[in-house]
Amino acid sequence: MSFVPGQPVTAVVQRIEIQKLRQGDNLILGFSIGGGIDQDPGQNPFSEDKTDKGIYVTRITPGGPADEAGLRMGDKIMQVNGWDMTMVTHDRARKRLTKKNEGVVRLLVTRKSLEEAVKQSMGGCPRQ
Amino acid sequence: MPAEVKQEQSPSNATSLAMMQEPQEVVEETVTIEEDPGTPTSHVSVVTSDDGTTRRTETKDLSTNVKVTKMVKTVTTRTVRQVPLGPDGLPLPEGSSPLGSYTDSIDRRYMKNGGDRFITPQATSTLTRSYNNSYNDSYGETPESQYVRHYGLHDGYADLTDNYGSLSRGVNFRPPRYPYLPNSYRPENSYTLPIRKDDYGHVAQPQVPMGSSTVDLNRSQPERFQPEPYGLEDDRRSLGPEEEEPYELEPDYSTANRRTLQGANRGRTHREPLRDGPRVRGYPDDPIEAELIDERHPYIHGMYSAPLAQPERGSMASLDRMGGRRSPSIDSIRKDPRWRDPDLPEVIAMLGHPIDPVKSNAAAYLQHLCYENDKIKKDVRQLKGIPVLVGLLDHPKSEVHRKACGALRNISYGKDNDNKVAIKNCDGIPALVRLLRKTNDMEVRELITGTLWNLSSYEPLKMVIINHGLQTMTNEVIIPHSGWEHEPNEDSKPRDAEWTTVFKNTSGCLRNVSSDGAEARRRLRECEGLVDALLHALQSAVGKKDMDNKSVENCVCIMRNLSYHVHKEVPGAEKFQDPSALQAPGSAGPQRKKKDDAGCFGGKKAKGRKNGENDKNYDTLDLPKRAEPSKGFELLYQPEVVRLYLSLLTESQNYNTLEAAAGALQNLSAGQWTWSNYIRATVRKEKGLPILVELLRSDSDKVVRAVAIALRNLSIDRRNKDLIGSYAMRDLVSNLPSGQQRPAKNLEEDTVVAILNTIHEIVTDSSENARSLIQAQAIEKLVAINRTSQSARETKAASHVLQTVWSYKELRNALTKDGWNKSHFQPTVTATPKATKNGKPGYDDTTLPLMEKNQGTRKCGSGDMIPMDELGPDGYSTIDQRDKDCKYKTGDGSVDLTEREPLKNDTNRKHYIRSNRPAVSLVDACDVKPQPVDSWV
Repeated sequence: MSFVPGQPVTAVVQRIEIQKLRQGDNLILGFSIGGGIDQDPGQNPFSEDKTDKGIYVTRITPGGPADEAGLRMGDKIMQVNGWDMTMVTHDRARKRLTKKNEGVVRLLVTRKSLEEAVKQSMGGCPRQ
Repeated sequence: MPAEVKQEQSPSNATSLAMMQEPQEVVEETVTIEEDPGTPTSHVSVVTSDDGTTRRTETKDLSTNVKVTKMVKTVTTRTVRQVPLGPDGLPLPEGSSPLGSYTDSIDRRYMKNGGDRFITPQATSTLTRSYNNSYNDSYGETPESQYVRHYGLHDGYADLTDNYGSLSRGVNFRPPRYPYLPNSYRPENSYTLPIRKDDYGHVAQPQVPMGSSTVDLNRSQPERFQPEPYGLEDDRRSLGPEEEEPYELEPDYSTANRRTLQGANRGRTHREPLRDGPRVRGYPDDPIEAELIDERHPYIHGMYSAPLAQPERGSMASLDRMGGRRSPSIDSIRKDPRWRDPDLPEVIAMLGHPIDPVKSNAAAYLQHLCYENDKIKKDVRQLKGIPVLVGLLDHPKSEVHRKACGALRNISYGKDNDNKVAIKNCDGIPALVRLLRKTNDMEVRELITGTLWNLSSYEPLKMVIINHGLQTMTNEVIIPHSGWEHEPNEDSKPRDAEWTTVFKNTSGCLRNVSSDGAEARRRLRECEGLVDALLHALQSAVGKKDMDNKSVENCVCIMRNLSYHVHKEVPGAEKFQDPSALQAPGSAGPQRKKKDDAGCFGGKKAKGRKNGENDKNYDTLDLPKRAEPSKGFELLYQPEVVRLYLSLLTESQNYNTLEAAAGALQNLSAGQWTWSNYIRATVRKEKGLPILVELLRSDSDKVVRAVAIALRNLSIDRRNKDLIGSYAMRDLVSNLPSGQQRPAKNLEEDTVVAILNTIHEIVTDSSENARSLIQAQAIEKLVAINRTSQSARETKAASHVLQTVWSYKELRNALTKDGWNKSHFQPTVTATPKATKNGKPGYDDTTLPLMEKNQGTRKCGSGDMIPMDELGPDGYSTIDQRDKDCKYKTGDGSVDLTEREPLKNDTNRKHYIRSNRPAVSLVDACDVKPQPVDSWV
């Protein structure tokens, strides 16, 4: 899944919709993210390509909204409500996810198992 | 006089070491990074003209498969002409972006066919064709539309023959081709007819059904070429080393040769007649020929002989390196006579073409060719391409000066300093700086600063860069990107630094030039706003806990370099060397000497007295109140910076940053002026000693070394000495090699010597500390080093420590009980007191050693780089050695590494911090917080 930032990426994505949970004053999604173009990509334990500065799901609150929606640790977030997440700072990603006025976030995520599944079903490399 | 000896010797060592490190490291770094933003980009920029997709494919390919580089190349070439093709391989109207689909299809084909034979000659060829056309038709639309039409009409290319032949080269080529006809592979068609037919009419056609796409065409190519015998060429190639016959292959590209070569025995003879054409191009080293080239009209030339451009070889060379030897399909593409790339002299001549797009494409192509290819860089230089490129920097069109700058950046990268000098000699540095002032285009600024960074790695150019570019770089890049403002707005929040590439490049450049000696340091210190901005940037890094990046590293290194000798070099420094400094214990050379003498004859008494005095002095130490906030270089040595460096030492995981921060403290705490007294005391008060002690456990040799020396300088302060003696001794000792075995860390000689000197400093004048040393089981190690070490410097340093320990009569009892006797503490033969007397008496007298050390350390610095390269996790690291220094992997590869290593280190550090916290009782301020890489949402 190596790619060049800013350039088109081919990836197998899954759509995940998470209903935010109200906790006191906060709306929470129940997962944490790591990565971003301002972070050290070499420290990302989930990425295959250690230069990938994408946003990754680093932790999931068990039973939380994200968990129930099917988000998994290590997923790479490609979009949030249509916003690109492959070329954003960590903070920008966080803000996109935590907009107070949005009760639902729709994510496009990709994960290795997805790609592999597709690869197998197509009997070859998914890249056309 | 052992006492005398030791006191003189060790200080000098320490000082020199202390200061040394800066320049060395700096230089080395630079080299590594230089091209990082470079080549993938360079490729890209070649292609960029209108299409993003192509670019993407390229880069991806680059990273995934060697072969594909070829593809990239293909694409590139093609771009020059930009024959529009739709996604299906059919022509598109002007303005659409054909390349993406084109490459994509290549890619696809590649995927299907697997590694070996995806090469697509026609793509490459296109360029030539178009190239020639361009000149024939003076860049009119005609040829293009012609292509369009033909592609559209005849999918199989089968019928294109005539058109292509008539377009450009067919005619020109025929004469040279003739003689070889009889031996050629497929005589009639190939030679008498325009080239086109040969390829497409004959073989490709059957495989390409009507209406098929380029992809299919592409696929058919290798099959056609495969059966041909290429062995000869390969053989020949291996016979002729690159250096001697750099362009050896060129002849083969011409039609005639291609064919000829196929008959195995005729390679040489048949090549000869053609030689002349290519030779001129191929051997520009020869002055006469080079001249010829200059005089020749490039375009004409391009038409009568058509060797594949040397440039082509550039990218192939990298293929070769990776693959061992070229695959037949690559050869086939080279032999394809129908089109060719412009060769180097032509490209350079094109730089002067009256039409701007030609200039910019030529420059972009040149950038691409120079990437990774020292030979081409040299050729460009010898063909006098560099002044032309520099001239283009002032071109009003951004496309032109951008591409020229890109080419210069690649040319300036690498070990060949002649290229750098050539840029300088044609006033390239002022031109770059001028452009930096003029342009707002981020990409151009990145290229400019990247080039300057590359140039700054060469010693003789440093001052030139300072003279022309220092203030501009500071004003245009450093200050705005650091977030620092001259007069901060009261109500606006201070801005954070932006770690842009431009900032990284510029700080890297300044980092390099800051190692150029006293005058360079003076200029940088006095450059308005520079120190302020750097400090602001670092503070913002600490505030954001974002301090592992290269920019921070560069900034800290500049700060460290500027802190070097600050007590001697800043204006007005004399004022602070006031006599009171002599009173301040341990701060002044003469003072120390007296004290040490006292120690020699009765350390205990001296110690007691001094101790009390020191305590009083330092605990009541009042920092001077300033009427107005300090600014400029004064900021370098204000006690406030201590906290900054300590934060970096606590939080950063970048070894270079750690080393530099420790080095800065070491520089600041050296010397005998008032400010260094303050700094030493402030480090203690800010609870910096435990932080430093912890870093003695670092995995990085240079960090350990810098920290050890910093501790040594800090222990000039009596309180510090006592604390360090109590709490750091075990860590110091554990870094020493024991007997024949080195400790796990296997530290370098320099580091071991530094640690020994630090230990010596700590036990001097303090029998308490000497007792700690004994308790840390150091004597065994010291004796072992003294007796068995291969290194004279280690032996000498160890012997000094031992002598000092033995001089404490009150400890001898304990020592004898442990089985030691006087002979163990005697200097060994090698460590003659005479020799040690050469050491300099002052702590800060480092000027002389600085130079020597510089050389020496730089060497070991570059030694450091090699393992880094070898560790390189990326695919590129398989490239042959020659490319170690100018590799496109540099950026990503090494950055990755530096980032990765600290990560590992980090866990260690945390580990030992946890385990050790209780032991280091004076700690409480060093919470190691993880980087904010996680956010709950």
